[in-house]
Amino acid sequence: MSEAIQTQEGALILDSHKLSYHTDRVDAWEAGEHIAPVSVDMSLTRACGAMCSFCYAMMQESQSRSSIKTASALHLLDDFSAIGIRSVSLVSDGESTLSKAYVPFIQHAAELGIDVGNATNAWEWEPEKIEQVLPHMTWIRFTVAAGTPESYASIMYKGPEHTEVFDRAIKHIKYAVDLKKRKGLSVTLGIQMVLMPHLKDEIIPFAQLGLDLGVDYAVIKHCSDDEQHTLGIDYSQYESLYGLLTQAEGMSNEQTKIIVKWDKIKDGDKPSYSRFYGPQFLLQISGSGLVAPSGMFFNARYSKLHIGNFTEDRFIDLWKSERYWRAMDYLSSPSFDAQTMMGTLPIQHYVSVALDNHAKSVERIRPGIGKKPLHVNFL
Amino acid sequence: MSNNLCYASIKTPTPEPAWCQLSNEARLVLVNNTISTNPAFQRNTLIAVEAKLDGQVIISLVEAVSADKRGALLLDLESFLKASIDQGLVVWLEPVGDRNSLRNLRGIEIEVKS
Repeated sequence: MSEAIQTQEGALILDSHKLSYHTDRVDAWEAGEHIAPVSVDMSLTRACGAMCSFCYAMMQESQSRSSIKTASALHLLDDFSAIGIRSVSLVSDGESTLSKAYVPFIQHAAELGIDVGNATNAWEWEPEKIEQVLPHMTWIRFTVAAGTPESYASIMYKGPEHTEVFDRAIKHIKYAVDLKKRKGLSVTLGIQMVLMPHLKDEIIPFAQLGLDLGVDYAVIKHCSDDEQHTLGIDYSQYESLYGLLTQAEGMSNEQTKIIVKWDKIKDGDKPSYSRFYGPQFLLQISGSGLVAPSGMFFNARYSKLHIGNFTEDRFIDLWKSERYWRAMDYLSSPSFDAQTMMGTLPIQHYVSVALDNHAKSVERIRPGIGKKPLHVNFL
Repeated sequence: MSNNLCYASIKTPTPEPAWCQLSNEARLVLVNNTISTNPAFQRNTLIAVEAKLDGQVIISLVEAVSADKRGALLLDLESFLKASIDQGLVVWLEPVGDRNSLRNLRGIEIEVKS
């Protein structure tokens, strides 16, 4: 796995995992205990005003969408705290900034001592909202599909003429960068490009935009696809982009690191593991309220792995339920083959590779030494 | 408690020749006839709509089943079909397409019969 990137604020790990700092959970898992996830990745809604061509949420529609009320979202956090979940990232399958629960959710998580991160397009992330949440956040990652306004609008919205969405996002990102400096906040601010092979001409402008904005990092990652290849990603084409990606990394300066998720880009569409252990440590919850082990299984197709809906049942009861552990056990059993039964490169990929290597004694997970990396509670 | 890490390197079973030699129609009849023998899976609740050569059995739920019930129902069904017909069978439900009207303008379609 890749090494940490040294930033002004500490070591940043984006292309690997941090299980070495949660060996208490690894040991308990190995002993067969029912462990609480270290981290939950979720959304407060399935709604989104963007229409990104790379969006995996297109493949994540379940039977029904429940509206997540603020009270349910806050109870969810109470349950996370009660069982020992250490962080929550608002990413998953919707644009959480659109939810009325967004601000109170983040503020309540901070009160409970749960670290919070958020990925957003920043279109509806206006100064008032930024002021309310930024002091409580560990990281914010802005989805920026390209470095030029026209390409950005083509990929994330209706067409190249709609550059107003780019202008709006950039204005809000700049506001956050300024606020962080003004208040000396510890939050990490980054932009992310989801690289589809045909977008190679956007790599260098994207890296330059990261430098111009003065964010802490600009990361370029692969595009996930489902096992039916709905998005039509040809993973063999990534290799032809290695030169451009290396060139982009070389543009890093003291303030802004340009980071390429090499491990995921090189791993392509076939994981090294057959069993899928990652969800026990990094659980995903849909903006529909659906609790399933991974976002890979939100679609109705994977209903056998659906555990429940936290707007209908308390999360702590779902976590304790037989069906939660039955779903997790299924993914750890010979009945499940991660190489053929789910989409490519899930959010639990790095963790799953490490846990599989641990289980096979290929490489045991050892306790981390020295200063903890940034965002240590986000696996 | 015991862990199940012992399965890390075990190969996932694939269908035996007896399943593979059947036609698509014959496989589907076999699956639905088998389902009908078990009162837990009444035909008016679920029905197999596709039974593929590679062991994938696609199920359609006749009535909606809540999120807290459908997981157990379908895992029970898969276990039953594995035990009754072939260890290589895998149950999936019919997929649902994206309901986001904006994203649908992209024209990307989710295969409803996979």
